Amino acid sequence: MITVSINGERKEIKEGLNIKELIKALGYTTSGFAIAINTTFVPIAKYLETIIKAGDEIDILAPVQGG
Amino acid sequence: MTLTVNNPNNIWEIGGKTLNSRLLIGSALYPSPAHMEEAIRASEAEIVTVSLRRQSAKQNAGNSFWNIIKSLNVQVLPNTAGCHSAKEAITTAQMAREVFGTHWIKLEVIGDQYNLQPDPFETVKAAEVLIKEGFEVFPYTTDDLVVAKRLADVGCKIIMPWGSMIGSGKGLMNPMNLKAIRQAFPELKLIIDAGIGKPSHAVQAMELGYDGILLNSAVALAQDPIKMAAGFKYAVEAGRLAYEAGVMQEREFASPSTPTVGTPFWHQFK
Repeated sequence: MITVSINGERKEIKEGLNIKELIKALGYTTSGFAIAINTTFVPIAKYLETIIKAGDEIDILAPVQGG
Repeated sequence: MTLTVNNPNNIWEIGGKTLNSRLLIGSALYPSPAHMEEAIRASEAEIVTVSLRRQSAKQNAGNSFWNIIKSLNVQVLPNTAGCHSAKEAITTAQMAREVFGTHWIKLEVIGDQYNLQPDPFETVKAAEVLIKEGFEVFPYTTDDLVVAKRLADVGCKIIMPWGSMIGSGKGLMNPMNLKAIRQAFPELKLIIDAGIGKPSHAVQAMELGYDGILLNSAVALAQDPIKMAAGFKYAVEAGRLAYEAGVMQEREFASPSTPTVGTPFWHQFK
């Protein structure tokens, strides 16, 4: 297990997960969100090849109201 | 001649889109999603600002807000609200492009947490990168002429100076500066963004020759957001028509409007 930050909260996750596996493990079932790791955008096309590392700060953002 | 919001004379272009309405409206702060939906419809705005925030899987399931916006058939303008550096804003813009499927971005980089004043240095830096990446950048800035010049220098075709602080409702703090920006950049699309509190503020901005108005709180926080949205629709149109018509010169003396020839009860000899 490794410790990462997901949307600002500490979480323990399995080692070696790629992003696609991570979002499935977290329960995201729909599209309509985007991911950044350590403040760098990761496009959908790179979900499979991007492996989560210990200490990564992951942001999962979705549409909300805005001005 | 009948003048309505659909009058062909009102058609304009921004970011490669041809639009009827010069009102851009926000989607936040409404009393309910139903109020938001009805207010946007009543405003007849064709550009609606949206944002991105952290959401858990549970919150994200079936995102009802996004479904409402999609049903309105409007052009969305995602913002980078809450970003405090060029790096954060660039990443948010890239994420927004993927989620919302648009290369339009309202670039907001905040430099002061108290008055939400934009950071001009980081805004210019982010704008330069985003334009190179193919974004249509709508930068939120102050009424500073030199900052506007720097944004134009890095390729911004649209600039959005504030009227006053975000959410303040104080209207145009410095019309002279706004006028100077308009005069300096006749070729750019200029939108007043932030600080508009009531329709008369929007009229004033449009009379200065601004191409449009972006607002949110003034409608969402009105006692009747739907009626206020309609009020702003007419205000923006009125201001634009006044600008196109050309406002009369002010005079330092009174001048009667009714003809003096034939004035009754005046006699040469009494």
